[in-house]
Amino acid sequence: MKTIANLSPNLSRRNFLGVSGVFVLGACVPGCSPQPVRQLAPATTFEPNLFLALEPDGTVRVTSHRSEMGQGIRTALAQIVADELDADWSRVQVDQAIGDAKYGDQNTDGSRSILLNYDRLRAAGATARLMLRQAAANHWQVPVAEVEASDHRVMHTPSGRSMGYGDLAGEAAALPVPEDAPLKSTAEHRYIGKDAVHVDAADIVRGKGTFGADFQADNMTTAVIVRCPWLGGGVASIGNEPEGESGLVGIEILDPAPSAGPLFAPLGGVAVIAEDTWTAIRIARSLDIEWTDSPNRSFASDALQNSLREALKRPGTPVPGSEKGDVDAAFANVADGDTALTATYQTPFLAHAPMEPPVAVADVTADRCVVNAPLQDPQSARGLIAQWLGFPPDNVTVTPTLLGGAFGRKSKPDFALEAVELSKRLQRPVRVQWLREDDVRHDYFHAASAQHHRAVIDAEGRPKAWLQRTAFPSITTVFAPQGEMPAEWELEMGFSNLPYGVANRRMESAGVRPGVRVGWLRSVCNIFHGFSANVFADEMATAAGRDPIDHRLAILAEGGKLEVPGMQPPPGHELDIGRMRHVIERVRALAEWDRPRPEGTGLGFAVHHSFRSYVATVLEAAMVNGTPKVSNAYVVLDCGTYINADTCRAQMEGAVVFGLSLALHGEIAMQDGAVVQSNFHDYPMLRMAAAPPTQVELVPAQGRLPAGVGEPGVPPVAPALVNALFAATRTRYRELPIKAA
Amino acid sequence: MAFKLNVNGRDVEADVTPDTPLLWVLRDHLGLTGSKYGCGGSYCGACTVHVNGSASRSCQLPVAGLEGQTIATIEALEERHPELVKVWVDNNVAQCGYCQAGQLMSAAALLDGNPKPSDADIDAAMNGNICRCGTYVRIRAAIHEAADQRAAGGNA
Repeated sequence: MKTIANLSPNLSRRNFLGVSGVFVLGACVPGCSPQPVRQLAPATTFEPNLFLALEPDGTVRVTSHRSEMGQGIRTALAQIVADELDADWSRVQVDQAIGDAKYGDQNTDGSRSILLNYDRLRAAGATARLMLRQAAANHWQVPVAEVEASDHRVMHTPSGRSMGYGDLAGEAAALPVPEDAPLKSTAEHRYIGKDAVHVDAADIVRGKGTFGADFQADNMTTAVIVRCPWLGGGVASIGNEPEGESGLVGIEILDPAPSAGPLFAPLGGVAVIAEDTWTAIRIARSLDIEWTDSPNRSFASDALQNSLREALKRPGTPVPGSEKGDVDAAFANVADGDTALTATYQTPFLAHAPMEPPVAVADVTADRCVVNAPLQDPQSARGLIAQWLGFPPDNVTVTPTLLGGAFGRKSKPDFALEAVELSKRLQRPVRVQWLREDDVRHDYFHAASAQHHRAVIDAEGRPKAWLQRTAFPSITTVFAPQGEMPAEWELEMGFSNLPYGVANRRMESAGVRPGVRVGWLRSVCNIFHGFSANVFADEMATAAGRDPIDHRLAILAEGGKLEVPGMQPPPGHELDIGRMRHVIERVRALAEWDRPRPEGTGLGFAVHHSFRSYVATVLEAAMVNGTPKVSNAYVVLDCGTYINADTCRAQMEGAVVFGLSLALHGEIAMQDGAVVQSNFHDYPMLRMAAAPPTQVELVPAQGRLPAGVGEPGVPPVAPALVNALFAATRTRYRELPIKAA
Repeated sequence: MAFKLNVNGRDVEADVTPDTPLLWVLRDHLGLTGSKYGCGGSYCGACTVHVNGSASRSCQLPVAGLEGQTIATIEALEERHPELVKVWVDNNVAQCGYCQAGQLMSAAALLDGNPKPSDADIDAAMNGNICRCGTYVRIRAAIHEAADQRAAGGNA
């Protein structure tokens, strides 16, 4: 048995107790006979676990230990708890947790918040519900089996008595916490699987949501940092150090991170700290800084792209266990009626460019540090900050604000460490505000990549042999100074788990060290692996003159679970060919695939399994005045059990826009170690007129394990577009972004 | 220098350099943090406010030119456009929400000048507002719904 946590009463709770005193409920509803009634325990907050608190006024507070970046997690976590608690949704509020190991994993990336927390949050709600029933049963001195809970009330039907949850908080808080409280059946769920408006929506539309830059600290200053254009360079000299400028607090030099394996350390640079943001920006822009060299100064993305293409011409490192049959013999002896196909695909570096650039507020005193910032993982940030300052973690408090978009960027707390270092030096609260130019030029970039596919197909387009090669700078290069080869988990993103049946195959990879920081962007390596594999499969269908969806269904591996070389998914999360087949069939129906489209308009299809979900996408597109124009999007998502149906649809809608942005516009280039682009004029995003009407269908949960929603909608978009443009124009684009002639 | 401004119907004063963009006056000096910094170059529209009723990028407007103008921000939107605030919430338009103040201010200016906009009108009026989460389809639908509500309520 667990015991109830002793609560340290805070001020508001003491005030509440002062007003409410002790509840004595002996009154009887009309018509009932007098029953023995115990005196209730004093009103207090009922807090049976980390994630749920019930106030005596009936307010349910759910603690979100995951960060909100638009994926609706604060709402979804509350839906789970409120459902099993049988709470009135209008009385549920959400508190944001600080970074603390007691919550378990808080790393809000990898599309796994629900997957990791569904069971424990259901249990949290169900346990509290059982305890409220027990509290009422004790109070009424009746068997708990006769007591039911529903919609924020506990009822004893035989006597017609009932009590609100809040009135039972004190009594429930005095009970031992039971284990194995019964969970609801799926049919009993009232919030799980239903639509819910996001808990932050009302604040956001009134300009009241607190994002990183909105957090205010007393006596706060603002810093804008000028960073070296190339990774690893330091400050050689400042030609025109300003003095006596009104509002200027100081100029601080930050040393660069080591150029090899910079991880999450600040990049270094010249920090201009001022009493207000504009003064910091104005002075930062006026500085004339000479930088020291670093080996990365010669880095050029063109050269890296060339080296990736060159790497694909040589045998790479085979994925262990990927070899089946004899792929070389198959290529050497192409039978009559069979066709050999070869294609190479290439994708560029990308920047995350969340609408809110990185920003953090830190307040460091002699032995304490408080950070408020839009962080995807406040817990690991806390550890890194504690290490940076030499403080015990208990002296560091990290609270995530709302994240104004993140897409993986805000998993890396380098910007928070900048604020920590500056606040430590100034002994004042410091807000570090990245400008958009800083964000675009100094990101942890999504890796540029190239893939080579070679296959022998039969007359029906079915692959008899398939060689795949991929080459890209691995994310592990930011973790390890010597890292170079793609990691197994990077290959498992759409490369080693290709879901097609083929008798002769080999998978090979190659890596290269980049001169920039590489990081994970929404759906990570699935972007380029899903792109090249889906386009190549479409090319097989084309070569055989077959309908792309008929063909794809025909080349899927045999039914059942896919055997993936290398990384093994946990039970229940294996790649299920039947589920993949189902989303393909559903999207064919949703898009009315066989309905003729106007002349010059084509349909393109792609399907991808990532983050344990299945997404099939059809885009309807045409070339209009030399520009690709998408007129409709159709998406089918199977993410197993889902919480907020409307959020799932919204994430697919957003994924279409995100995918089209990268397919049509996304390209970051580096010359002489420096990023060429700087802002939305040369790193453009899709705008409203280009956003297609999007229909989304969710596959019913069917009691399956929850899987990812935030990321898996992205990978099929770019290949579906390329395939649609091929259908419309007979031109095949094998490089992203699509550059129409 | 002290500049006298009229923001959300109130006369206020800000002691800043003349080149300070309105965005930073609002955020750093007047405590109105609903308008967001997204690009500093009028590319993204996150900082959109109304100046004399027109949707304007506050990151591009030096404070020195704004004395005597009427400025409205997201914090005052609900008074004039309660239907926009309502449909935005009801339709779960926002994802991360960072760009939505700018989106809403552009939408409000559109409806002020065009009570019954077409899809093309909406696309044109909203072209300056980027949403990286990709909420465009919901924004378009919400503007239509708000227009319908205004027409039905007769408060256009």
